[in-house]
Parts: sequence; C-alpha cells; structure tokens
Amino acid sequence: MPPGPQRLDLLDPADVARLGGIEIVAEGVVEGFLAGVHRSPFRGFSVEFTEHRAYQPGDELRYLDWRILGRSDRLFVKQFEEETNLRSMILVDASRSMAWHGTPERLTKRAYADRLAAALALILLRQRDATGLVTFDEQVRQVVPARVKTGQWSRIVRGLLETPDGQGTAAHAALQRLTALLARRGMVILLSDLLFDRELALTALRYLRHRGHQVIVFHLMDPAEVELSGPPEVRFRDPESSVSVVVRPRELARAYADTVRREVAAWRKACRRHGIAYHHVQTDLPFGMALRLLT
Amino acid sequence: MSFIHPLALLGLAAAAIPALLHLLQRRVPPEIDFPPVRYLSAAERESARRLRLRHLLLLILRTALIVVIVLAAARPLVRVTGVGGGGAHEPTALVVILDNSPSSGAVVDGRLVLDRLRVAAHSSIGRTTSADRVWLMLSDGVLRGGTREALLATIDSTRSGWQRLDLVQAVERAARLVEAQPLPGREVHVLSDLQNTAVATGRATVARGVRVLATAPGRAVANRGIAAVSVSEGAAVISLRGSSAGSDEPVPPPVPVTIRIGAGRRGEVAARGLGTGGVSGAAVTVSLPAQTLAPGWWMGEAQLEPDELRADDRRPFAWRVAPPARVMATPGGGAGSFVAAALAVLQDGRRIAPGRDVVISGGEPLAGARAIVLPPEDPALVGQANRALESRGVLWSWGQPGTPGPVVASGGGVPMLNGVQVVKRYQLQGAGTSGEQGAAEILATVNGEPWLVRAGNVVLLGSRLDTAWTALPASPGFVPFVDALVNRIVAGAAEVDQAEGAPRVEFQTRGSDTIAATVYGPDARESDLTPATPANASAALGGRDRAEVLDADRFAAERFSGTRRADISGALLVLALLLAAAELGVATRTR
Repeated sequence: MPPGPQRLDLLDPADVARLGGIEIVAEGVVEGFLAGVHRSPFRGFSVEFTEHRAYQPGDELRYLDWRILGRSDRLFVKQFEEETNLRSMILVDASRSMAWHGTPERLTKRAYADRLAAALALILLRQRDATGLVTFDEQVRQVVPARVKTGQWSRIVRGLLETPDGQGTAAHAALQRLTALLARRGMVILLSDLLFDRELALTALRYLRHRGHQVIVFHLMDPAEVELSGPPEVRFRDPESSVSVVVRPRELARAYADTVRREVAAWRKACRRHGIAYHHVQTDLPFGMALRLLT
Repeated sequence: MSFIHPLALLGLAAAAIPALLHLLQRRVPPEIDFPPVRYLSAAERESARRLRLRHLLLLILRTALIVVIVLAAARPLVRVTGVGGGGAHEPTALVVILDNSPSSGAVVDGRLVLDRLRVAAHSSIGRTTSADRVWLMLSDGVLRGGTREALLATIDSTRSGWQRLDLVQAVERAARLVEAQPLPGREVHVLSDLQNTAVATGRATVARGVRVLATAPGRAVANRGIAAVSVSEGAAVISLRGSSAGSDEPVPPPVPVTIRIGAGRRGEVAARGLGTGGVSGAAVTVSLPAQTLAPGWWMGEAQLEPDELRADDRRPFAWRVAPPARVMATPGGGAGSFVAAALAVLQDGRRIAPGRDVVISGGEPLAGARAIVLPPEDPALVGQANRALESRGVLWSWGQPGTPGPVVASGGGVPMLNGVQVVKRYQLQGAGTSGEQGAAEILATVNGEPWLVRAGNVVLLGSRLDTAWTALPASPGFVPFVDALVNRIVAGAAEVDQAEGAPRVEFQTRGSDTIAATVYGPDARESDLTPATPANASAALGGRDRAEVLDADRFAAERFSGTRRADISGALLVLALLLAAAELGVATRTR
C-alpha cells in the first residue's frame, strides 16, 4: 500500500482493489467514508442525535455545536444515529462493455461498479436499510432480494461475484423486469456505463420514478473513454456489437470529447427532468468521493 | 523555364510518396476494443467533411512540399524582364564578331578602337557558361570554337589586322551558324567600329530567333590614307581616301605625299607632292625622273604624314622599268596629231626611240610589227581596216558607232583612263580569242562595251586619240597612257597585281626572270572611317527587328536578355518553408 492518506475511501480505486476481495475493500472504504460523515448520507430519513466528539480538521462546519463553542470555547461536533427502514435495490450493469478498462493499471468499469455496489450495500445495511442486488446484461442475471437480516451483505457480495461478464446490453428490458421485482417503494441505485439506447432506458427509469422510487444513476466511464487517444490510426471495435470504425485519434480527439460531453449532458438533463439523480463517475475516482456524491 | 541541374527533376517521382503513404497507412491499422464506438461514430459523422478537407489539404501540402524542394534542387531559371546585365541565362549559341580590321587600329580619344572592342568582346564571352556554345570571328572570317578560356586568350592576343571585314557577310554567316544550334538562345555580338563601308554591301539575312547586337561606333575621326599607288612611265599616281569626320573646313589642307623608289639600292629616287586633303577619290600625280632608273623591277613606297590611323599611311608599290620602245606612227598622220605630239614628248624624255618595233596607225596594221591601231577617221575606210585586221589574224573589228560615255579601266594598269569622256567611238566586236593570237584582253570599256582591247601583239582602240573623239588627249594622263601603250601594253608586259594584306611586295619568277609582282596593302575602304548611322547599320545587319545598335551600357544590359533567366531556387526554398509551416499547422491542429 502506497504511503499517503489512511482513509481507503480516498485512495486510488486500483490501489485499494489490490488490498483484497470485494468485502475487504468495501469494508475499508466504508469505514473511512463513515469516519468523515456525521449523518446518513441519504437525506430525508429519520435521524437522532447520539453524542458529541472533538472536532477534527476536515469535519464539516455545519455539524459544529455552536452552543458548546460559545460556553466553553472548545470545538465539538454533533454525531447522529439513523433510524430508518429504507428499501434499497442496487442494480449493477454486467454487460460486456463494463468489462473494459483503458489501461491494465485501472479497474474495469465492472470491477469498479462491484466494489462501489458492495460499499453502498454495506452502508445501507449498517443503517438498517433493507438492501438488495440485481445484476443484468441482456437479461437479469442475479437477484438478491432486499433484506436487512444478518448475512445479507455477504449474499450481495456473493451475487456480485457470481455474475459473469455478459455479452450485450438491453438494459431497458432488464429494467422493465426489475419494476416487477421492486413492488415496494424505495431507492434504486443503477451502476452502469449507460452504453445503451438512452430513450428506452429512460422509459424504464421513468417508470420506476413514477412508482415512487428514488432513482440514482451512477454513469461509469473509464478515463480512456472520455479522452480519446491511441496510435496514429486505429480501428476501434465495439466489443458488444463488433461494430468497428477506423479513426485517427489525434484528429478526432476534440470532436470525440465534445460528443462525450454532449452525451453526459444529455443524460444529466434527461435525468433531472424526471427527478432522477445522475452522477458521472470515472473509474479513477476514489470510492469515497463517489460515495460522497450521494450526500 | 530551364534548369541548371535538370537531372534533379527525377526526384519529382517522390511527389507520389505522400499519396502512397496515405494509401498504405490506411491498409492495416491496429484493432482495439473500445466500447463507446457509438460516440466515435457520431463524432466522425460530424467531422467527416472537415477531416476529408484536412486530409486533402495535407496531401496537397506534402506533395507540393516535395515538388517545390525537388524543383529548388534542380535550380530552375525563369525568364525575367527589365534592364540589367546580371543573372543567368538559358543555354545560348553565340558568335562574337570582333572586327580587328585595319580601321580598328585608329586612335580615338587617345585609345585604340580595338582596345574598346576587345573589352566588350571579353565581357560577352566572359558572361557565357558551360552550357553555351561560343565562337569567335575575327576579320579573317574564320569561326573559332573552343573553350571560353581559349577564346578569351585569343581575344587578349588579338591585334589590328590587315584584312577588311565585310560585316554583312560576317553577320550572315554567324547567324546561319547559331541558327543551326539546338539551343534556346541565339545571339550574334558585333563588336566593330561599324564603318559605313563595312555595312554598305547589302543586307544580311538573319533568321527569326537570332538576335544581332552591335556596339555603337565611337566618335568619328578624320583620316587620310593611301588607297592605291600606280606607277607609270614618268609619273606615280597616288590615290587618296579618307574621311573628314564631319569637319566644316571649306578647303581641306593639302596632304604631303612622299615617294621613295628603290629604297636601299643604288639609284634611289625620292619625290614629294601635295594632294587635296581628306577627299575620297583624290589623286596625287608625282612626276618621276624615269631616266635615272635602270631597266628592271623597282619597289617603292608612298607615305603620308602620320594621323589617327597609321595602317593606311604608307603603301608599297612595284614598277618595271623597260628599255625604251622603238616606235613610229604611220606616215600621213593616220594616228593623229595628238599621238604624234605625245610620241615627241616621250622621245624627248627618252621613253621611246624611233624605230619600227611598235607602229601606231589609223586603221591599217603593218605586218611583222607590234601594232596599235586606231579606227580610221573616214567611216568609209572602216571596212578596209577590218579586212586588214582579219588578214593579220585579229578577230576583233570595228562595228557600229557606239554611244558616248566615260572610260572604265578594267585592268592593264591604265588607271589614268578612268572617267575620261568618250564622245565618239566604234563598237569593238570580236570573239575575243584567236588560236594564233592567243587570248584577247579587254583593258577598258565604255558603257560596258570594249573600248581598248589587246589581241596578241595588236592593240585596238574604239576611238581615235583626238579631242573630237575623246577628252583623253587633253587630260594629264594622256602622255603616260601613250607611254604605257607603246612600252608595256602592246608588249604584253605583266601587270602589277594588288592584294589585301600586310604592306609588302611579292615577285613571281619564271626561271631566272621576274614576270610579275603582287603588292599587298590594306583595303582602301578601310581608310574611310565614317561610321554608319545606327539605323543603317541595324538595317544592314539583319533588319531593325533582328539587329540593334547599342551604346556600351545598353549593349551590356541587352546581352542575353532574350534568354536571361533568374535562379528562383531561393524563392522556392522559402516557399518550401512556408509549405512546411502550413503543413505543420494543419497537421497539429486537431479540430
């Protein structure tokens, strides 16, 4: 482990992944993450004050107890304990395009999504939320129903591990099936590279939203997918559809970057219009930073 | 456009390299998995037009860059306009005519004319390159080829010669030579004092595409020269020729002429006379004390006071002194009183003696003697006289009366006859040859018809030597003419030939006898230094559209101007740099 900050949630994801399996990584990330937050990241749910602790650099000032500061001239921050019965379902895209990384030094999008999903599940379970998992590619591959009982996190992790890399992505079909599985109102977190038809996928997500779910989308991209690079001339092939195109990356880099920016902006705009939280995450973003997007 | 290194143009094949690389590179690109191909496709669709234009622009720029670099390596020469003698020129066939005729030895403003011409010739040949073909022609008319250095050396060693150069013929020959050369440029440079007499013989035929450039003549100078010296019995006639340089002197100063005969041998004779100065065609007759000269061949020399042109200030001559002929005129005055008087003078001067070797008659030749026959005074006796001639074997006869006119001497050493008016004459008719008499010789004509003829030992005249027939008896040349008739012409004595060359006398011998002499000297026309006007000169040297007469500065500027080229390789390299910069800009620009 390289020298630097001890909080695993702020380390490079690839470096963190080298520590061990999904469980170890997720637990380490969640420990570090929770040390930096003072309340549930998921606002809108019931929370109770539990105790004070001394202020540490980096703590958010909004949790500073101003009364104690006024009386004793010492810095304390307030800590809370959630009381919730949220039902959360984490959807992980396991299509073939997710099994790609720009360089071997980085996690694939799927590996990143698995670890992020495990961390999310651990956080949710620790705050006694019923949490489940669905993995899908062209069809739903694994379903772990939302529970809060002991051993649920292990089941979720096993579900992630037992889902192989898929072939294609027909997300809207899988999402439509999920609407039947998510009968009770809750929170749906989608981890995907969103390389599928936007309108069809949005139709399914809109339906979930219409059913009263809180929908959060993590749009995962490898940094190499954001900035085009490569040999002077190269044939790029889509691993899912086998469609290929010959380009000169240096010539097309700016136009490609513009296209990606427009695509991200289009997703963000469409999600906002339908009340869906959208987060664009590159796979070199520390897990803690990705989790913090939820706060 | 031409090129200094045309072989470098083979490098133009390299212009295909960008296109080939473009095609080859597109064949086997590496293949990489890349999930967001849909984004790539969209970006490419949006940029397709711009990329095609960019690719095309890059291809054009790179190809042009190679082409420009190759062209620069080939050192292209392009035609340029404007005044200026510098720069390169296309391969040119050049003939430099350096007129080193005797007139080039004139001193003008303290400098030899030839020196000025030589500098210009040096400059013309010095401007040539190894791609040019160059010849040098001097006044001998020989076209000299060779390397530039060899020709320059020839120019440096050239001195004024003794041969006249007919510029019209010289330019025509030179133009034919350069016109036959397969080179882009064809020029003839005429470096001459452009004497009027040198361009007065017609007009040179110059083919289209041949440029004739001539240097303008310098300042005209006055000159007097000895055109010819003829020595007859008792007198030397010195013909003068020259130019006045446009002086307005109403009466030219007299010209002193010195004659020396037999220089360096016993009996040397010197005489002086005064001639009319500076007038072409003037003649000075100097009486010679002939009785002091022993029989035989004599050489002499006529001299003028030195002037700007020394080559024509002295001229040698040769003269044969024979024993006095024994002469008689037919009794009864058939030859006329003027002939009798002339014979009396000659006898007094011991040029002739009484005798019957030569008989002068009025129509009836005497058998067994050399005869000088005049037509009979009575027309009725012409037939009888013709029969007498025929009986002697002479095939010439008197015919119908001829038209009046001046006498033109055509040989035989009778220059005193030139221009003498004949008012009455008979046409001399005859085959001109006789097996017995040998070849007939026409010594003088009137209006193109024979007037004085020698056939064997008989001499016939078309007119009687009487003032009613001709003005000759009243002219100063009458006695010398009669002297020549009786002492030389009727005896068939050899003439003295004139030839062009360094002044000298050469004798021809037969056995131990000297039978003839040739006197060498410069052509008399060289003495006339009057320059031709530029218009006349350019018209004579090929026409005004082909030939130009230019002053020294313009001559230097116009040389090779028809084929002058500028080396634009430097500009091409600058263009190549600009193209490279443009290529770099387009290639590194990503959108």
